Amino acid sequence: MPSWSEAVERTVVFFTLGYDFLGWTIAGAALVGLICGVLGSLLYLRRLALLGDALGHAALPGVAGAFLITGHKALAPLVIGATATALLAALTITWITRVSRTRPDAALGIALSAFFGLGAVLFSILQASPSGAQSGLNHILFGNAAAITPGEVGLLAGIAAVTLAGVTLLYRPLQLASFDPVGAKLAGVPTGVLHYGLMTLSALAIVASVQSAGVVLVAGMIITPAAAARLLTRRLHAMLAAAAGIGAVSGVLGAWLSFLMPGVSSGPAMVLCAALVYGVAFALRLRRPRAAAEAAA
Amino acid sequence: MSLYTLFIEPWTWGDWMWRGTLVASLVGVVCALLGCFLYLRRLALMSDALAHVALPGLVGAFLLTGSTGPAAMFLGALGSGLLTTGLVEGIRRAGHTRDDAAIGVVFTALFALGVILLTAFASDADLDASCVLFGDVLGVPTHAVWTLGGLTLAVIAAIVALWRPLHLATFDPDTARLLGVPVGALHLGLMGFVSITTVASFQAVGAILVVAALITPAATAHLLTRRLHAMLLVAAGHGALSALLGMYLSVWLNCSTAGAMVCVGALLYFAALLWSRKPRDGGAPP
Repeated sequence: MPSWSEAVERTVVFFTLGYDFLGWTIAGAALVGLICGVLGSLLYLRRLALLGDALGHAALPGVAGAFLITGHKALAPLVIGATATALLAALTITWITRVSRTRPDAALGIALSAFFGLGAVLFSILQASPSGAQSGLNHILFGNAAAITPGEVGLLAGIAAVTLAGVTLLYRPLQLASFDPVGAKLAGVPTGVLHYGLMTLSALAIVASVQSAGVVLVAGMIITPAAAARLLTRRLHAMLAAAAGIGAVSGVLGAWLSFLMPGVSSGPAMVLCAALVYGVAFALRLRRPRAAAEAAA
Repeated sequence: MSLYTLFIEPWTWGDWMWRGTLVASLVGVVCALLGCFLYLRRLALMSDALAHVALPGLVGAFLLTGSTGPAAMFLGALGSGLLTTGLVEGIRRAGHTRDDAAIGVVFTALFALGVILLTAFASDADLDASCVLFGDVLGVPTHAVWTLGGLTLAVIAAIVALWRPLHLATFDPDTARLLGVPVGALHLGLMGFVSITTVASFQAVGAILVVAALITPAATAHLLTRRLHAMLLVAAGHGALSALLGMYLSVWLNCSTAGAMVCVGALLYFAALLWSRKPRDGGAPP
């Protein structure tokens, strides 16, 4: 634990970008929070909040597989591999739910554990091989915002642009499909296309967030800002904006805490900040009588 | 490569092979039994939550007592498991956040807290976060066999003794409540057992295998059976079989044992899914 004066000093260094890499760190952490907040809100409204958990875990075999095939830690193959397995997990969950009597929550749990188990198998093979000894499993599991590269920030910025553009252009159909899927289908909204589009974007976003948040806790960044925003507002555009803001602030605060206390990974710190916001929002919501809250909506 | 080298020879390599398979089978059976009740009450993902929050429980117990002894670890995991159940239940009752999101908010926050406490304050403890996730089947100590054996017997005894009320509370909680069955107490008891099982299991097999062992056998059995006792038996069989086959796979490929068991369990599930698809529930386009 750093002393107070050390903490103040490091805080000043952090926010005045005292090191070159800090600009990338802060930008990356804010982008992760923003993307996860927006996509998380859309998933939350479709009762798919825990999908982020499954997709985050499912990125692991993709990372390990890409590493095994290429033999080094290049960004492009890792992102392609991880996105492919995360997307495969999303399709598996959709498929299980449609063709069998297995309940959706269990389908999610099966896909999550199966893909993570496969990832564990691949990683154990990788670590036994000479090239993979320093593959940095711990960073992939728990995130390290400070080690983010400009290339990864660029990828995050690209995903953020696509997400924001998509949400703005498709706002009406998304709104209909989120609150009233049956009505949306009747009104001719291509709900299937929207569903798979959301899945693809979520898979990409989760993969790109893994460097900062880690595979285990990216779920927290998907769920918690969205749930907190939902407590504060019932309108979709306000919820999207609030979730993006809460996510971005939590992301930056998490990266700051991780910089302040060496050894603390950034993923857990981000999720804890988001959970604090959720706790405050929950307390605010409890103080407001239910009837008044409904009337205000 | 003959059948002998593939199937028989590994058993002559030493005690660890026998002990690892025995421990993994016990984990498979006890988790499968508990998992059926979680599954039927639509609480499958509580197993994901409880497996993750065992970590903050262990770290908290270490920070409070300064020991990593079994008693402190059990109480820590049990405490954080019950705390999670209480928090999720509290958020659910307040009614502002959806059930699945409530589970997600609580367990990710507690898991994050656990990782931070571990790295910031308890780095000298003999706890390793990635070991918690993946476990070490082959390095499992002998006393774990006794703990898990006792736990399995206790779970079987509890299911047999409480068969009627459990059956009722699982399928029709409202009627059960009217008939005076203590549904809340059974729920807490189930969560307590799952928390204890999680911590007893995951030294051996890691948190992820615990999640898989709680969900996959129950889902497989649910595809194949229509009655509770049949479901419990099939699930237990699935748990034991995936432990045995997973052990072989990990020996052949020289890879993570827990991971291999999860993969085998998932393959068995998909086999059951394809086999059980009837025309009535198959083939319907989305």
